[in-house]
Amino acid sequence: MAVSVAKQGYHLGHGEVDDHHDTVIYNETRDMRLLGFVLFLCADVILFSSFIFAYIYLRTTVSPVWPPIMDGKQLPRLDVAFACFNSVVLFGSGVTMHFAMEGWRHAKRGMFNLFMGLTIVLGAGFLAGQGYEYMHAKIGGWSGSIFGASFFTLTGMHGFHVFVGVCYLIVLWWQTSRSVYTTDRYFGLTAGTLYWHFVDVIWVALFFLFYLW
Amino acid sequence: MDALAGTEKIVAAIGAVVVFIFAIVGLRGEWPKMGLDDIVTKLLLGLMAFGCCLVILACLGILPHVSPSTPSTGV
Repeated sequence: MAVSVAKQGYHLGHGEVDDHHDTVIYNETRDMRLLGFVLFLCADVILFSSFIFAYIYLRTTVSPVWPPIMDGKQLPRLDVAFACFNSVVLFGSGVTMHFAMEGWRHAKRGMFNLFMGLTIVLGAGFLAGQGYEYMHAKIGGWSGSIFGASFFTLTGMHGFHVFVGVCYLIVLWWQTSRSVYTTDRYFGLTAGTLYWHFVDVIWVALFFLFYLW
Repeated sequence: MDALAGTEKIVAAIGAVVVFIFAIVGLRGEWPKMGLDDIVTKLLLGLMAFGCCLVILACLGILPHVSPSTPSTGV
């Protein structure tokens, strides 16, 4: 039903002028796209959860002490101070993304551009920090210990999501400069904001599991 | 290295407080809205504020709770 209505809207959009009908079509398809995107995020939650539960299992059953012992020596804990700093960079980017979205909703283009730019810079900064930490973390590498394997797999997967998010935000920013979105129709920006918040929240879990537990 | 870690913690703590405040302000603005995206945004902003609390606790030395003999790597 909704699809056939959407098709009608497509034809109308390329022929007759019917703004009201187009708005109805947009609202209908927006809800479906939003539901699909939320389901995608739920699937990603399941993906991360499976790896997180594997880590919890390994940590609580395989090794009697944590960090585990490798070559007769206990591995060091990860550096909490640096992780705190890097976490704030990522959480800060979540807040700037939220205010970029608010700027767009209220047709404040300058505010949107400022906060969107900040979000991208902070996201890239987080990735740089993550790379720096990878180079200096002495926890046995990817295949050296279960600590290293869990850490690099989970944070690597998260880092990949952040990287994709940064690319996504750059594309969204470019699209706004090409007037793809209006202050009434901006589903892509909504999806980008949700995705970026999701990436932040996954980091809350990883930060607790690897640095604070 | 310890001094650097101390500086990192101070900067992180201040940043976490600022981000926490802005996350709460954002959450307050979203609160009356009831769309699916608004509900998800509220949930995610709330969890992000919780993450800021974790960072503040870590910077204050309350978390993680470990024995001093456990080795720590310095980044």
